[in-house]
Amino acid sequence: MFELLAQTGLNAAYAASYISLVAVGLVLIFGVMGVINFAHGELFMAGSYVVVALYADRMVPFFVAVVAGLIFVGILGLIMERALFRPLRDNPLGGLVASIGFLLILQALAVLGFGVRMEYVPPLTQDVIVFADKISIPVARLYVIIAAVVMLSALWYFLKRTRFGWALRASAQDPEAAALQGISVTQTAMIAMFIGAGFAGLAGALTAPLVSVNPHMGHTIIVTAFIVIIVGGVGSLEGAVVASVVYAFVHTFVTTFYDGVLADITGLSLMLIVLIVKPTGLFGSADRA
Amino acid sequence: MFPKGLKNGFSRRTFLKSTAATAFSAGLPSMALAAGETVKIGFLAPLTGATAAWGAPGLSGCEIWAEKVNAAGGIKIGDSSHNIEFVAYDNEYDPAKARTGATKLIREDGVKFVMMLGGDTWPGVQPVADRTGMLFSTLLPSDLSPDTETLLAPTEVHPIYLVTGVQWLAENKPELKTAVMCAQDDALGLPSVATYLAAFEAAGIEMQDEPLLFDPATTDFAPIVTRLLSTSPDIVCLDTCYSDYVHPICEQLFQQGYKGQIISATADFYDQMIAKTSKEFMEGFIFQFPDFDDPALNADNINFKDANGFYAEYNKRFPGQWGAVSWEYAAIMELWKDAAEKAGSVEPDSVLAAMKEGGKGKHAFGDADWWGAEMFGINNALVGDWPVVVIEDGKAVIKGFKSIPDWYDQHGDLLIKHMSAYDQMWNQRS
Repeated sequence: MFELLAQTGLNAAYAASYISLVAVGLVLIFGVMGVINFAHGELFMAGSYVVVALYADRMVPFFVAVVAGLIFVGILGLIMERALFRPLRDNPLGGLVASIGFLLILQALAVLGFGVRMEYVPPLTQDVIVFADKISIPVARLYVIIAAVVMLSALWYFLKRTRFGWALRASAQDPEAAALQGISVTQTAMIAMFIGAGFAGLAGALTAPLVSVNPHMGHTIIVTAFIVIIVGGVGSLEGAVVASVVYAFVHTFVTTFYDGVLADITGLSLMLIVLIVKPTGLFGSADRA
Repeated sequence: MFPKGLKNGFSRRTFLKSTAATAFSAGLPSMALAAGETVKIGFLAPLTGATAAWGAPGLSGCEIWAEKVNAAGGIKIGDSSHNIEFVAYDNEYDPAKARTGATKLIREDGVKFVMMLGGDTWPGVQPVADRTGMLFSTLLPSDLSPDTETLLAPTEVHPIYLVTGVQWLAENKPELKTAVMCAQDDALGLPSVATYLAAFEAAGIEMQDEPLLFDPATTDFAPIVTRLLSTSPDIVCLDTCYSDYVHPICEQLFQQGYKGQIISATADFYDQMIAKTSKEFMEGFIFQFPDFDDPALNADNINFKDANGFYAEYNKRFPGQWGAVSWEYAAIMELWKDAAEKAGSVEPDSVLAAMKEGGKGKHAFGDADWWGAEMFGINNALVGDWPVVVIEDGKAVIKGFKSIPDWYDQHGDLLIKHMSAYDQMWNQRS
């Protein structure tokens, strides 16, 4: 039983890592720009396809492809900010609808570029670290956990310790007051969009060798990310990370000890309970961000 | 009191349907086939979207088949020859779009036969089939019911053929006594679970745990594999998992140290699975869909013409894309072509009658019977032998053909028991 519990814990740690990268990006975009980005799952998908195009098809080293995925999807985020969200800044519903349109465009581009079938991504490594004879973690999964910890720590440092970070938080808390202090709302929106989209791209790129890469892979992760940000508190970065961990552990343990369908129901029930008991989420406040 | 036709099983319902079909047909374009006129066949399946892998490769296979048939003079109807052309409609696995597509194919394109994936899209199309009397085929016999006599499952009798893999496993590896299974919780997964449960019970293989169902949206299979391996089974059964699941599950089985037997309905792109695991790990993997370059498909009893040549051409045009459905729609067309030539007509009712003449048909893997009254309420599934395929030294090899009817004669009660338990009998489905 100890081995089963430990193995399940490691599985949950991996799930928490990539979910938190995606959810934090979604929260950052919402917090700063007030837009619910429905295309966030497709940004995750785009990160995976960068790895397919560079690492699987052109033999570019994996970690170079991952960095390219982060930058490429970050630039996609900038394009979204400039072309979709900025013109609709005073119209959150318009931004939401525009993001749904962008979602469909990205899916169609993936189908046109790569076809409808899942892509083959060679394994980064087949090395597995084994503890106590029966508990194992593939090194490729360990990379995802390490990358999530490093990137989320870096984001925390950026937001809490740098001028750009302060500007970002100020814009999220009160855009008008921030503008009166000379902070460019446009610039902070661009930074938030690049980081938020880039984190989704990073998660997609890192997990590409571990999942089935296909044009519709964004659906699952966006649903999970929405559950997580509602549980954590919409607009709360700390909440997104904590809720990712809680959700991943609950989902993984229920899947392992009961079944996957019940795990999904449990995840949704968790969200419902939080909405009833604390509608603002675990770390949320009545105000945005 | 009743007209003679009604007394002899020509029910009021059938009468009304036939009348409606006749009335509808009167409004259709002319049915007569002019000399040299191209015969159009409808291909109504998902070509985009998450289920496209069950449609698009089949259309590719059909186009290769049509080019070959047309190059050889086309289909011979009476004294004239006709080329065959496929008219595709992407239903995106959406019942409403499938209904629109069926109507368009029949009314605007004038197709003579419509091939479908079926499944969730069939309820959308069924009213069109009932109204027009058009001949349809499905890959999923769970669509069959006595309500629609013009719907056939002429190639893939999913999931009944799965019993052959377990039967072969029990005969050839009798030391394997325990199994676990996982499946996606959907219309394809659940009847397969019931079938595998029946097959394992018939073979004396003990299930160590309830089948582990997962949401079709699942992407991380580590927790599922951890659970499967927690009882140290001899056999891990992957049910009718899609490739998107089979690959990551196998990778997880490999990474979590599993060294036992794996059985699955499909192993599409198994070369990629070998690359992600190892040749040794995949050795002995049992599944049900052969590569068509297999020498066993050159046997006289195989009705799919030039299977090896078809496979070579498919791989030339679509390298590395061969999968379970690549050949299935083309195999249906072989059957349809033979029946149309025998009937001397491409009209749906004539072709259907010729196809089912004598209750026998030429299935791709050998002569077979029109079967299914107990399972589907109608004998519209063509059932005979099915191949058992094993990966040996990195290559899929047909290890033999097993008779589905023979298994059913011995163990049909088990199949009905498990199908009923999962509400998968034709009269239990809503």
